[in-house]
Amino acid sequence: MPKIGVYICHCGENIAGAVNIEEVKKFVEKLPDVVVVRDYLFMCSDPGQELIKEDIRKGLVDRVVVAACTPRTHEPIFRRACEEAGLNKYYFEMANIRDQCSWAHWHDKEKATEKAKQLIAAAVAKARLLEPLEDRYIDLNKNVLVIGGGIAGIFASLDLANAGFKVYLVEKSPSIGGNMAKLDKTFPTNDCSACILTPLMVEVANHPNVELITYAEVESVEGTVGNFKVRVRKKQTYVDWNKCTGCGACLNVCPPKARVPDEFNEGLSLRGAIYIPFPQAVPKKAVIDPDACISCSGRWFGEEPRRTKDGKPILAPCEKVCPTGACSRDEPRDPNGEIVELDVGAIIVATGYRVMDKSNFKEFSPESPNVITALQMERLISATGPTEGKLIVPSDIPKYLDWKKKVEKGKEAKLEVRKPHTITFVSCVGSRDERYHTYCSKVCCMYMLKQAMLLKEKYPDLDIYIFFIDVRTPGKDFDEYYMRCRKLGIKIIKGKVGGVQRLPDERLLVKGFDADLGKPVELISDIVVLATAIEPNMDLKDLARKLGISVGAEGFLRERHTKLYPVDTLTEGVFICGCAQGPKDIPDSVAQAKAAASSAMSLLAPGKMRVEPLISEVDQKKCSGCGICVPLCPYGAIELVDVNGKKRAKVNEAKCKGCGVCAAACPSKAITLHGFTYEQVLAQIRTLARRGEVSA
Amino acid sequence: MKYGLFLGCNISFNRPDVEQAMRKIFPALGVELDDLKGQSCCPTWGTLPSIDIVGWCAVAARNLALGEEKGIDLMTACNSCYGSLNEARHKMLSDPKIMERVNEILSKIGKRYEGRAKCRHVAWVLYKDVGLEKIKESIKYSLDGITIAVQPGCHFLWPSEVYPDKEEDPFNPVVLRELCKALGADAPYYSKLIDCCGMGALRSTDPEKSFILVKEKLQCIKEEIDADLIVTTCSSCLIQLDDAQEQLRKKGEIDFSIPVLHYVQLLAICMGFEPEQVAGICVTPRDEIIGRILEGGKR
Amino acid sequence: MIEGVPPVLNLTELAEREKEEGKVSEIIIRFGAENLMACMQCGACASICPLARVGFEWFNKKLIKAILVGMKEELLDDPTPWACVACNRCTEICPRQVSPFEVMFAMRRLMVEEFAIPTLAIEALRALYEYGHAVYMTGREARKKVGLPEKPPSTDSDEKALQDLRTILKETKLAQLGLIPME
Repeated sequence: MPKIGVYICHCGENIAGAVNIEEVKKFVEKLPDVVVVRDYLFMCSDPGQELIKEDIRKGLVDRVVVAACTPRTHEPIFRRACEEAGLNKYYFEMANIRDQCSWAHWHDKEKATEKAKQLIAAAVAKARLLEPLEDRYIDLNKNVLVIGGGIAGIFASLDLANAGFKVYLVEKSPSIGGNMAKLDKTFPTNDCSACILTPLMVEVANHPNVELITYAEVESVEGTVGNFKVRVRKKQTYVDWNKCTGCGACLNVCPPKARVPDEFNEGLSLRGAIYIPFPQAVPKKAVIDPDACISCSGRWFGEEPRRTKDGKPILAPCEKVCPTGACSRDEPRDPNGEIVELDVGAIIVATGYRVMDKSNFKEFSPESPNVITALQMERLISATGPTEGKLIVPSDIPKYLDWKKKVEKGKEAKLEVRKPHTITFVSCVGSRDERYHTYCSKVCCMYMLKQAMLLKEKYPDLDIYIFFIDVRTPGKDFDEYYMRCRKLGIKIIKGKVGGVQRLPDERLLVKGFDADLGKPVELISDIVVLATAIEPNMDLKDLARKLGISVGAEGFLRERHTKLYPVDTLTEGVFICGCAQGPKDIPDSVAQAKAAASSAMSLLAPGKMRVEPLISEVDQKKCSGCGICVPLCPYGAIELVDVNGKKRAKVNEAKCKGCGVCAAACPSKAITLHGFTYEQVLAQIRTLARRGEVSA
Repeated sequence: MKYGLFLGCNISFNRPDVEQAMRKIFPALGVELDDLKGQSCCPTWGTLPSIDIVGWCAVAARNLALGEEKGIDLMTACNSCYGSLNEARHKMLSDPKIMERVNEILSKIGKRYEGRAKCRHVAWVLYKDVGLEKIKESIKYSLDGITIAVQPGCHFLWPSEVYPDKEEDPFNPVVLRELCKALGADAPYYSKLIDCCGMGALRSTDPEKSFILVKEKLQCIKEEIDADLIVTTCSSCLIQLDDAQEQLRKKGEIDFSIPVLHYVQLLAICMGFEPEQVAGICVTPRDEIIGRILEGGKR
Repeated sequence: MIEGVPPVLNLTELAEREKEEGKVSEIIIRFGAENLMACMQCGACASICPLARVGFEWFNKKLIKAILVGMKEELLDDPTPWACVACNRCTEICPRQVSPFEVMFAMRRLMVEEFAIPTLAIEALRALYEYGHAVYMTGREARKKVGLPEKPPSTDSDEKALQDLRTILKETKLAQLGLIPME
């Protein structure tokens, strides 16, 4: 005979304000198997918990029912209390008489009290049938997968690797580095971006605990926390990276017809079909882009080479010039690439961002080559950019590249390009905008100031205007940076630009508004820089689906709780960080990356994870092998196995999440969901149907 | 193809040569015109739209219903009418309460509007329905060597969401330029192409201020592309650029003269119709350019 | 100094006035500017407004601010809303979908209720009722010169249509306010 103790919480006023506790107590005292009934102001407090623990220790009760708030937040607290007092924690049941009773029926105290009685009676009915269960433990694989090799992915990997965890760092591009590699300098210190990033890139690539897998994407993910099976698809490089030294000889011989916009230079220049993404690329290896390759030697990948009259094979210029024989067209094209399978215990998503394309914003004459995005401006002023950092109007970049080619070939050539006198920055292009993205992209105010400062310090005669709606510079040393910019003579105007119209000779007429003067203003500018919105990378929604996590309305990955769990997701074992979670600058991305790494470490370090035993179990004697349960399981946790020549269902304990769908669907009632058995649930239903008369 | 010809007040009374131009060119291009008997003011911006929305929509709906009951759409050469009718239609289609109120009022004259009939612009009918090829074939005189400054006009472009036909880039419109190019002319971009001409309420309220806009526009046209002719798709822009130009000359603020035509008038001339009828009313003289067209470009 | 508006704006007085007379923003919203409150005063609309360009006082952004702050009486004599050409370039580029054009016209409708209407507008309304055309000319030479019938196929030559139009006009606020004679 079970000895049930019922503990009723006032929850301050939250429950007692609508439910008549005394009346409920009198009712509960009369329920079968109830030996003790107590009430208290806050049952979850220390003294409240002591009441329960005392009764257990004295042997008065061996089943506990707490009538209080929601089990979602408080069940673990009371379970622990039972355990600490020496009672199996699964001999505990909770009745929610707050969210589902007092709060819902605040204005009808009589009915609220009645309902409370019935809810507690149902809990008692179930408590009489509770089984003692033991927590189970699953082994955790201690490897971690980091998706994305930008600054966030790099720091997450380094922290984990230094702590002794094996990390797989998967990156979509041929090189790690992400968007930070494209920056010239970083605010507010104006550090050279490549100078601070490259050592980290090298460190992570050389770390014994890190396996770098670049030019690859995540194909599929199966399993759950502690045991993920990830398939990664590696794209073909057409260059043997084991032999390639990154000398770059092949870059110069790729024929001029095989040119496509250079992704690293944000389309301001072109790259060949064979390329190394940028000079500090890690790994520094060449890659052939088959969509750009024109097969100049007349030989597609995998075909037999054409031969001279003497039978010698005609090789492509890139094959000929390669000193190590790494570049070879013998390998046929396989769009499927190579699949690599990884076993990991946790996954960190750090896929970063991209900036919106200027072509979306028709009111700013985006067809003009002198209207550019801020990231393009960053490339323009970079020493590794299309003009080696020489500031010229972008419309003259083709002239510059032509001149450069002539000079490299040793020809005489005069450089006639126009230098800008006026540069205008436009904020909030696509951000804070109902037509595109309602969020603020957070980093643009600072990076416009940064670009303006770099330009003004280098070319004091430049006339620079920045049009802000609001100036947002809240970070450490940020507002001081803003003041420095004002003192330098950079013209700060509060008012959004409504239109940019093209003038002859590729200048631009900027139509803005000066809120301080209360007047529309206009100016003629040589370059207009649009601070376009930051967006998540295009395939993020797809990737999220594969990982079982979700994206918010604006496309960024959704964290478990906006305030308290910014790097966790609702899927255990999957963490997020950096701009994939939302727009942010480098220090915040690094902080989140370290947080995600730390969370992953906390999860995996023990090597085992405690999991509730509230999972399904198949009574194979009752199972008929019909197989209805198998496709119903959302976690793929149930399968048919061979038992003495017959098919019987079996639950994979590691995968089962205890949702109960199989138990409900089984026509033979062969499946039990521990903690919610047929008998327990039916007892609750019958009790409620009989208005609180406890039934078995 | 049949359309109800919606004239609007300015074309009917001030510039009936534009009306005549349309009555000549469209039948010749295979577009049948219905008189839309009983049409009234669209209603223009200074009247019902300034008083109350339902009243505005009711007057507009009566005009649109004239087409709807015959199963045809309307088309107009006046941007203001184009704007007022389409904005009203958009309001009626977006808010069923407005549509209901409007039909309550229309029932008092035994009419109903369901939202099917729309008002298109003659330029779009020429561009989409008739097509540039057909236009090229139909002209007797071509405009080789003539530079045209186009003035699509604000209501041709904005707000893009209410119009049945939309430019791909409402800040870099190409339809009118293409229509002029189909006649053989050059129709280059100039930086103030989409700027407002200042007609309508602005001019009624303060003519001096509205002339500022005209002067800027004309100076830009003169300096950047030195056009021989200004062509517009809007009867209001036509009157403003034609008439205000003369005022500016009188005041000595400009010293040049660029004739102004509505596109349908230019097309009518190129198709060989009588210039006196299709382009006979103007303030800034047109004889020179018309003469040049008729002499120079015989095909 | 702007006529009618004191050098220092006393927001408390305006707020008190609004408590008694009702919020100006609510009136403007009721008159058709549904998205008024979404405005963040970025100024993009003002940068391309023809009215702001030629020097009218209460162009779109400023008018919205004045409304949000509670000004009404101070604005009634200003001609700016009546100068709006309805070009809608502001609507096209507004990042908040406020449609400043709607605010301008809602202001007109407010002014009409307070009988602060320019003469030209009254005359246009009269002509609309009389002839069915806001712009009307009795001279017929122009039409005859170009070879068209004297009267266009409108309410000008169709009595029943004109009566229909008048019936409609009598059902609108035009009649309720009694702005023009309507027999």
